[in-house]
Amino acid sequence: MRFYEAFGLEPALSLDAEDLKKRFYERSRKWHPDRFSRASAAEQEKALEMTAVLNDAFRTLRDPVARAEYFLKENGFELSKEAPPELLEEVFELNMALEELREGDDSARPQLIEARNRFVAMRDSIDQSLTTTTDLEEVRALLNRRRYIRNLIREVENVLPN
Amino acid sequence: MAYSEKVIDHYANPRNVGSMDKTDPTVGTGMVGAPECGDVMKLQVKVNPATGIIEDAKFKTFGCGSAIASSSLATEWLRGKTVDEALAIKNTDIVNELSLPPVKIHCSVLAEDAIKAAISDYKQKAAKA
Repeated sequence: MRFYEAFGLEPALSLDAEDLKKRFYERSRKWHPDRFSRASAAEQEKALEMTAVLNDAFRTLRDPVARAEYFLKENGFELSKEAPPELLEEVFELNMALEELREGDDSARPQLIEARNRFVAMRDSIDQSLTTTTDLEEVRALLNRRRYIRNLIREVENVLPN
Repeated sequence: MAYSEKVIDHYANPRNVGSMDKTDPTVGTGMVGAPECGDVMKLQVKVNPATGIIEDAKFKTFGCGSAIASSSLATEWLRGKTVDEALAIKNTDIVNELSLPPVKIHCSVLAEDAIKAAISDYKQKAAKA
């Protein structure tokens, strides 16, 4: 996997954040384009390319969610296209409250704030589980749920200016 | 993207919006959701247990115009059909009737899933009764 290779790491779901940062700085220094100003055109290009890969790889691997998505994808897992059925009832209620608020009924506001807090707590708990789960099917289920919940939070926040 | 006239008509005047008592043993409830967003569709049927005919159908959909039109049309079609006839409704029937463009086909799939979920809920209840 290219992003792990860029840091000389074995592909793994969990990794040491400090070690990753150290590797990123070391390698970024080594490949900094300024150090290649007098090198051949081919070497200059290589330095640019390595710098770009290191940046992309670091951005992806340091974030547990982006890392898990990348890791799954590279292992041939697609995120499934299904709404988590156990959340639908709650999402329906949430939409009812959003509709009331849009129609000017402010009494729905506390319910929305509560719903947002509940979804944020769900997301945080998923993020916590992502740091310890190793089974890829389970990771996929967590990521699906997380993506759905993230979009819900966004929808609520669009109508709730804090 | 332009909506067809039929979509606009259902969107502006949705038929059978509402809700029935989901604890009623003759009412089947289907709740389905779109994967990427908070779109959600609730569709209910009230079945006459003696005849197996759907006497009433209601829906409430949060989603785009095509999702609302698809479920609105579905409730119109469901009324007066037997449970088995209802299960024969295909999403492509909805696509054709509403002239849905390819990017909106998932809305009709959602409506078909909602019909199936509502009927299966009713059947489960009927089996228990």
